[in-house]
Amino acid sequence: MESSIFNEWRWVSLSPFPWWALGLLGLALIAGFYWSAFSLKKQDGWRRGVLLGLRAASVLVLFLLLMEPGKRWMQVTKVKNRVIVLLDSSLSMGFSLAPGKQTRYQAAQQIIKSSESFWKELSTRFQVDFFIFDKNLQAINRNKIVETAPRGVMTDIANTFRQISSDSDSSRQKLAGIILFSDGADNKEWSKGLSAPDKEKLKEMNVPISVIALGEGRFKDLSVERIEGDDFAFVRNSMEIVATFRVVGFTKGSFPVALKREGQVVATRNLQVQKDGNIKVVFSFTPDRTGRFVYTVEAPVFENELIATNNSRSFTIHVIRDRVRVLMVVGRPSWDVRFLRGILKQDPNIDLISFFILRTANDDARVQSDGELSLIPFPVRDIFHDQLKTFDVVILQDFGWSNPTYPQMSQYVRGMKKYIEDGGALVMVGGKNSFGEGQYERTELQEALPVEPVGIPPGEESFIARLAKEGRRHPVMSMGLGEEESVRAWAQIPKMYGSHVVSAKPGAIVLLEHPFLTQGGKNVPVMAVGEYGRGRVLAIMTDSFWRLGFDSVALDSGFRLYDRFWNNAIRWLVRDPELTLVKVSVEKSILEPGEPVVARVSVHNPDYRPAPKVAIELDWVRSDGNQVVKQQTATANLEGIAQFQWTPLEPGPYRLVARAKKERRIIGLGENAFAVEAAGAELGNPWLQLDLLREIALATGGKLSDAKDISSIPLNDKETMQVGRIHDVPIWDHYAWLGVLAVALVLEWILRRRWGYA
Amino acid sequence: MKTMKGNMSKPASRGYGGVSRSRRQFLLRLLAGVGVGTLENQALAFGDSSKFTPAIAQHGGNWNARPNGLRRLCWEVSSRTSVEVFPQARAINLSDQALFHYPFLYFGGEGEFPAFSDREVANLRRWLTWGGFLLADANDGSVGDGFDACFRREVARILPQSPLSRLPQDHVIFKSFYLLDRQGGRLLVRPFLEHAKVGQRAAIVYSQNDLAGAWSRDLQGEWEFEVSPGGENQRETALRTGVNLVLYALCLDYKEDAVHLPFIMKRRR
Repeated sequence: MESSIFNEWRWVSLSPFPWWALGLLGLALIAGFYWSAFSLKKQDGWRRGVLLGLRAASVLVLFLLLMEPGKRWMQVTKVKNRVIVLLDSSLSMGFSLAPGKQTRYQAAQQIIKSSESFWKELSTRFQVDFFIFDKNLQAINRNKIVETAPRGVMTDIANTFRQISSDSDSSRQKLAGIILFSDGADNKEWSKGLSAPDKEKLKEMNVPISVIALGEGRFKDLSVERIEGDDFAFVRNSMEIVATFRVVGFTKGSFPVALKREGQVVATRNLQVQKDGNIKVVFSFTPDRTGRFVYTVEAPVFENELIATNNSRSFTIHVIRDRVRVLMVVGRPSWDVRFLRGILKQDPNIDLISFFILRTANDDARVQSDGELSLIPFPVRDIFHDQLKTFDVVILQDFGWSNPTYPQMSQYVRGMKKYIEDGGALVMVGGKNSFGEGQYERTELQEALPVEPVGIPPGEESFIARLAKEGRRHPVMSMGLGEEESVRAWAQIPKMYGSHVVSAKPGAIVLLEHPFLTQGGKNVPVMAVGEYGRGRVLAIMTDSFWRLGFDSVALDSGFRLYDRFWNNAIRWLVRDPELTLVKVSVEKSILEPGEPVVARVSVHNPDYRPAPKVAIELDWVRSDGNQVVKQQTATANLEGIAQFQWTPLEPGPYRLVARAKKERRIIGLGENAFAVEAAGAELGNPWLQLDLLREIALATGGKLSDAKDISSIPLNDKETMQVGRIHDVPIWDHYAWLGVLAVALVLEWILRRRWGYA
Repeated sequence: MKTMKGNMSKPASRGYGGVSRSRRQFLLRLLAGVGVGTLENQALAFGDSSKFTPAIAQHGGNWNARPNGLRRLCWEVSSRTSVEVFPQARAINLSDQALFHYPFLYFGGEGEFPAFSDREVANLRRWLTWGGFLLADANDGSVGDGFDACFRREVARILPQSPLSRLPQDHVIFKSFYLLDRQGGRLLVRPFLEHAKVGQRAAIVYSQNDLAGAWSRDLQGEWEFEVSPGGENQRETALRTGVNLVLYALCLDYKEDAVHLPFIMKRRR
């Protein structure tokens, strides 16, 4: 044995038996000894002493033989455990402890600097490592701490602890404790305090974390601390968001706070202040347009406030349709009406309001009074004036507009045109009262229609309509995954009977065309779509379209085509975001000050193929003032995509408006919105979070200390003994000891026999 | 706000074609005596396809016992409502795929008729499922035998999951044009209608009172059958029931829309 390499030894048992077995054996031997002592209790004198002595010697030797004691030589290294000192270096540590006093960070620096003797003493027992942290951890020499400043834009204490644990696991040194200097103003995982699983994870670290809390709450400041609510809403449905204001240093009173959508006030409330603390305010409002919008909760900025930039907070809401409101006005009941109503009525996403003209002045219902009928007054003004804008889609089916019998209708024509221009959608479905006889060509509404009459009577021949070239990839006609599937489906439609003869206006897209009826060298459109202003129009020039929903059942092409067509058409008409030609997306909708915005614009042709090489203009608009602050241009790549980047200088709501142009003609528009926060999360909520810090200390067995006392913090073992090589030397496995046992037993037996004991 | 009655009319004839021409054509067709017995598959003009065009079920029994009934109903519907009618009802075999050109099917008869073939049952079931409306009418006023027994037997085959049941008095059929609290017919063997549903829609409506008997009028303008026990009032109720059934087939539950309810409730009081 090279005894020189071992520096420690200890007694050990080399027995293969477990400790509990050895314990039981020991107890059995003691019991045996007592039993033999009991059998000799009537004997007196030295003979009894000799026999008990021999028995005790036998028992002892036997036990030692079973124990197999040995001497263990060890090569031992003693390692100091680590104490980690963490200093929060996020921006919030730059706030003063109290008005006119040093900052939190300066206070921490001062404590670390003035506790020289404490660190020295601690270093004799532990390895003391210093780190500064914000969202990341950075090792630092203690003497260099005075040269640092709080600059981190985020505080992530949970991540800091994770990094320490990970570092510790890969180290030979155990953690004896953590000393945390922080204001606890976490703005990541623990911004709302510790959850039960968080506390469990802290306990599992098995390291006491002691906290030196820095900061006081006696400033005057008003901040929007939190916004709670859905990030999407349904248009024309009331919704609520809850804003939590933190009020510190204000006297009792009230002042107005507002919710704005891109600069326009949509709701106001009064903030009633009683004392310092958090106040929740509920804002109710009803979004009236679809799209993504930036909303901002704003409170006034008061004199002497600690931070002015945290008095507002922005967020985005994606306003979508819950149900599409469809107004269906019908000139007279027909099978075309019946099947369209059936399909719209059964669609859970459609809220259908219908008005059918069931009787005209020429009809005689043969009744004594109208009380015998279920007919209701036709609410012309209600429909075409008061309520028109509440509808997403208006369907005029076989409904003539310009008619001397009800001349008051003509006064609403302009309103209908304006409705489309402002983003409404119109479907005009054939029948005698549409198009030609409907006299729309004499009204302003004709301007909005994608087709115009050519002054010849309807074609009366039956025909099977043909999918037009432009319709093959149009989403209204889509019947499957690809163009081929749509072409196949539309090739199987049943026969139709007659069609208005019209011509497509420039810009209109013909989706279905007559197979043999031509006008001006082109096949007459049977179905066409167009855009007018911000609205869309679908024109169907036949009233036998219902046959797609009924005849096709007999043809085994099923109801699916008719159902799917109307579903597609309604989605296209209401500009379902999935069907827009130009899409603008942003990586993040709420940005920190100084953060760059990356916008991606994708463009499709009207037939929904990617539009390569088109020119894209992107306006960066301050949506609260509707002012273009930056314009960029780019050319789309082969996939019809272009990427833009800019860093807005000013905080506030922004809107991105993209225009795709082909040969100087706008082929599509797309929009999106984002906001740049006035204050980042770090400065938005810089308050001392004493509860969080206390919970961290309690969960880990640490201590929450104030700045005056950091000496009595709890720490684990001061050092860890690490054993290198081991050598065991057995000392009881010699035959001599068996001999001793045998001699003791034989001698006892002989003496017993001689002295006449049993 | 003015009512439709006073202010709305069918568009006047101007330009090419129009309602008046259509009405004229209709009358000419009526005068020509075109009935179900001489139906031909004529070419449809523009607008005809979507007009109310009844079909008559051609089954194995006496299926055309009231040849003038449906024609008269068409005339009444045309003159009382804004619905335009193509009066050439077509007799159609129940297994014929052409059934899908006609969403309204009149199924009448006197006496027994043989069971449908499986093909007929399947075709009719498919037709009803996808939107067809069948008006069944026991021209013989039978109860438990004759047409009634046979029809019930076949309905049980066509819609086994949806047996015939009494049409509730608050059903939209009773307010689809006229506000009705009873239903007429040549007879009054049953004071109610029955229906079988597909989903929420009444796909089959069945009368045992010979509705078409009350509707039937010959070309000289004479009613063909006496109506008892209610006389001409009962005939008028039968005509109104027929009009309501046609309007239901064309408008479905339009009169159940919320906008109508206050008016209808007020008038029902």
